[in-house]
Amino acid sequence: MNAIEVENLYHRFADGTVGIDGITLMIRKGDLVVLAGPNGSGKTTLLRHLNGLLLPDRGRVVVAGIPVSNNVAMARQKVGMVFQDADSQIVGETVHDDAAFGPENLCLGKVEINQRVQSALKKVGLLGLSNQRPHLLSGGEKRRLAIAGILTMEPEIVVFDEPFSSLDYPGVRQVLGEILALHHSGRTIILATHDLEKVIAHADRLIIMNRGKVVRDGLPADIVKDVEQFGVRAPCAIRTGGEFQSWMS
Amino acid sequence: MDELTAFGFYPAGSLLHRLDARFKLVFLVSISIAGLRAEWLALVTLTVFAGIVLLVSRRSLFSILIEIRYFIVFLLLICFVRSISTQGTCLIKTMFFSITQEGIRDGILISWRLLLVVLFGMAFIATTRPSDIRAGVAWFLKPLPFIPHKKVATMIGLVVRFVPVIFNQARETANAQKARGIENRKNPVYRLVRLGLPLVRRTFENADKLALAMEARCYSENRSDPDLSSGVHDWFAAVVVFFLCVFTIVL
Ligand SMILES: Nc1ncnc2c1ncn2[C@@H]1O[C@H](COP(=O)(O)OP(=O)(O)O)[C@@H](O)[C@H]1O
Ligand SMILES: [Mg+2]
Repeated sequence: MNAIEVENLYHRFADGTVGIDGITLMIRKGDLVVLAGPNGSGKTTLLRHLNGLLLPDRGRVVVAGIPVSNNVAMARQKVGMVFQDADSQIVGETVHDDAAFGPENLCLGKVEINQRVQSALKKVGLLGLSNQRPHLLSGGEKRRLAIAGILTMEPEIVVFDEPFSSLDYPGVRQVLGEILALHHSGRTIILATHDLEKVIAHADRLIIMNRGKVVRDGLPADIVKDVEQFGVRAPCAIRTGGEFQSWMS
Repeated sequence: MDELTAFGFYPAGSLLHRLDARFKLVFLVSISIAGLRAEWLALVTLTVFAGIVLLVSRRSLFSILIEIRYFIVFLLLICFVRSISTQGTCLIKTMFFSITQEGIRDGILISWRLLLVVLFGMAFIATTRPSDIRAGVAWFLKPLPFIPHKKVATMIGLVVRFVPVIFNQARETANAQKARGIENRKNPVYRLVRLGLPLVRRTFENADKLALAMEARCYSENRSDPDLSSGVHDWFAAVVVFFLCVFTIVL
């Protein structure tokens, strides 16, 4: 069963830049897929097609059997997105309000919203900070709040765009912990990064992008040796010849 | 970086936070209107009241004054312009202008009234969730025909959401420029342009990111709004504000 099907996708921006240059991909339900590639390779552009923030010029994207272009609202509910810049993702004036933003947009009832917010904040360990102003949170806490904000919408697929950028070591471990917990609860995870070290040990599949194309796609152990020729730093384990080390242990 | 934003919601459990947003809107509008023509005694009364309100809203008066220092400079400018542009008994005469007693009096009255409106406005925004302000405005607009009340309310909600974003951006840009010695340039026009252009550009970029994030979470005009509910304390506050306004107008 495929969670996401991308067929023959092309996207060209208004200024003529080609963002996506013909991508076909099937992503299986429940996988943790790592999307790697240098800056400007089109990772963000591809991810934004998955929930209809961008629409294809050619080709199509199908989420849970329904083309995104036909039902953007459904795609946005099914595909939760954690953006690269945690600050600009905050829309609420308190931690609680921010987490409630999504379910309010789904027009849910008050009781249901509160229930979902409480359980999502509890999951990411922010329940005690419900009334805090989000801008005062640490980097790791902000990312966890962003995760809580999409958990309240109960997505089946969660997409992370550079989730570790500008995080300190404890921040990386906190966020990685949440990502793995989501994966273990059965959700499909797609994670874009140019920094393989932190997640490669947990990936089911590695996709390497370059200039808007998929250039490698397969098991991490098989293709990780090729990443450096596409401008991505290979994990240490490749150089030392050891096993991938998890950042969680 | 955000601790010092003047125009933002400050979560707390004070009495003012618990008042119904609709009541607070009416209070703000009626006090502002009543204060339009207020003279000395009424202004003193309103100022004392504003002080109490800000204290109750748990914001420190000192930090508020620091935050609105540019606004105060603006008010001083109004005072000055008034004092040289009003006819009357001359106090100081120079080659170019003469300062009159009536002018100073007018200037102080006008700036004081403006300052009060801003202080009350800040107390309102600090104690009312943006979503409640939105819902309150929508509630008042609903009975009016030909006004798309949900659209207007959404726009107001977005403005309230955006003002702190712009302020933060301004401060960050200003700090970054200070770090590179912009203070050595004495020409204020140069400094304004150098601050203004990047500020506008970065504000638009941030607005774009925020809009995307909101869209990704299914934002639309139709959403479950907070339930507004009023109680005894709202009506009690209404009586207090009513007498304050009558008092202000009569004095
Ligand atoms: N809004 C836009 N307008 C024009 N070009 C863009 C826009 N967004 C991204 N691009 C270009 O598309 C390419 C892919 O960008 P992006 O998907 O952000 O890459 P990545 O996320 O892998 O760093 C880049 O060359 C970038 O300059
Ligand atoms: Mg990117």
